Amino acid sequence: MNDQVRKRWLLALVASGVCIATLVAATGQAVPAATGPAHAQTTAMAADPGEKIFAANCARCHTPPMTLNPRVTGTILMHMRTRARLSRKDEKLLLQYLAP
Amino acid sequence: MTTQSANRQIWKRKLRLIDRCTLRKTIGLLVLPSCILLGSTVGRAQDDLRAHTTAGYVPVISGAFAYIQNTSGGVQSLVPQIVPVLLAPMGHSLLLESRVEFTGFFQRENLPSEPFSGRFAGKVYKTVDYAQLDWLADSHATIVAGRFILPFGLYSERLAPVWIRNLQDTPFTYSIGTNPYGAADGFMLRGIAASLPSASIQYSAFMSAHSSTNELQAIRAVGGDTSFYVPSKRVEAGLSYQRTLEGYQINNEAAYFSWQPQRASVDLKAEYDRNHYGDGYWIEAAHIPQQFPVAPDFFRHVQLVGRMEQFFVRNGGGNGLARVNEQRPEVGLNFQIRDDWRLESSYGRLFSHNGNSNTWNFGFTYRFIWPLWPGRKS
Repeated sequence: MNDQVRKRWLLALVASGVCIATLVAATGQAVPAATGPAHAQTTAMAADPGEKIFAANCARCHTPPMTLNPRVTGTILMHMRTRARLSRKDEKLLLQYLAP
Repeated sequence: MTTQSANRQIWKRKLRLIDRCTLRKTIGLLVLPSCILLGSTVGRAQDDLRAHTTAGYVPVISGAFAYIQNTSGGVQSLVPQIVPVLLAPMGHSLLLESRVEFTGFFQRENLPSEPFSGRFAGKVYKTVDYAQLDWLADSHATIVAGRFILPFGLYSERLAPVWIRNLQDTPFTYSIGTNPYGAADGFMLRGIAASLPSASIQYSAFMSAHSSTNELQAIRAVGGDTSFYVPSKRVEAGLSYQRTLEGYQINNEAAYFSWQPQRASVDLKAEYDRNHYGDGYWIEAAHIPQQFPVAPDFFRHVQLVGRMEQFFVRNGGGNGLARVNEQRPEVGLNFQIRDDWRLESSYGRLFSHNGNSNTWNFGFTYRFIWPLWPGRKS
């Protein structure tokens, strides 16, 4: 790959970064706190410790889940504890948050 | 000679006894603590986890349906996919889980007059992604046995499922650390080494045996992954290493980074992968315009995605990787109709020494979680 192509790509990358930053600055002000899993990914400052755990760990990989049936919540969290490498304390707090 | 053979017999008997004793002691040393640990964890888990919650532990069938229409370099492919995930808990410390992918791949047949202009034809491929038993042995350790996804980098284990990935095209470097089967047959120890309010350290270590069993193929390999996470900044950085122990024994390495700024709904992820055949990186940014000045309720469901990736060939490439240098900028627009339904679209431009081409993807995913039977609440 010659230098000209490299420069072109670097320029494109910087331009994309600037566009994204502008978009974020224009639309992404602090989000007011809300309740429930559906809003947890944007509320790391939430008061509920389970909600904090959800925002900090689960939202790293995927959007908040659909409303979970309490019957399956324990099973899903066992799965996610393995997959997301959560501690038992995190699992307990998430259980209390998702199936109080 | 008689005395010598008698001595030999005596020593053989002694060694046999020692062997038996050692074997018994070893088994005792391994089994007894395991039983104590298992019993204590089961009991403790039940005591701890049942407190103040209505969560149930019934078996679950989860997963997704997806349909993607892909056009790469003018060639159209129809890719329907069903990915069921079975979760069957046994008590509160053992979980049997399995994920299978049924992926159809249909393209127009070549006609003598014109290529890719006939009727659609193809076949359905099935893959066992994992079939594993998890023992949640301790707050900081989970022991996994069976077939599991290789813990390498950010993408293969966490972002690859069709209902999670933001762009349907996998990165160029996806094969690094996952080639050829993407999964291992063996044992894995994983968990969280340190969990503090200010930071946490997560780890995985695995060993895989060779397997040629149909749908469960794996190669001999060892490896591990560790990541450092700062919850207050929502920043994660990690390293992965893997060595294949058969065929051409090569090292695979990855470094990754993830950041979700608290004050803006942006998700930034990046990964650099390297092995004997090539190296490359991808950087992905996803943004949900939650505070868009116009129609915020609508734009809350919109996700804008951008990804840039480059791959550089080393030693001729191949082994699941391209044989020429490639780069691809890609943008995507997703719309979350409901929590479980998502519409997806993306456009990418591939720049390759073999020729440049456009890639278009349109489709949807449906995510489901169904209890297998109506169990009582725990």
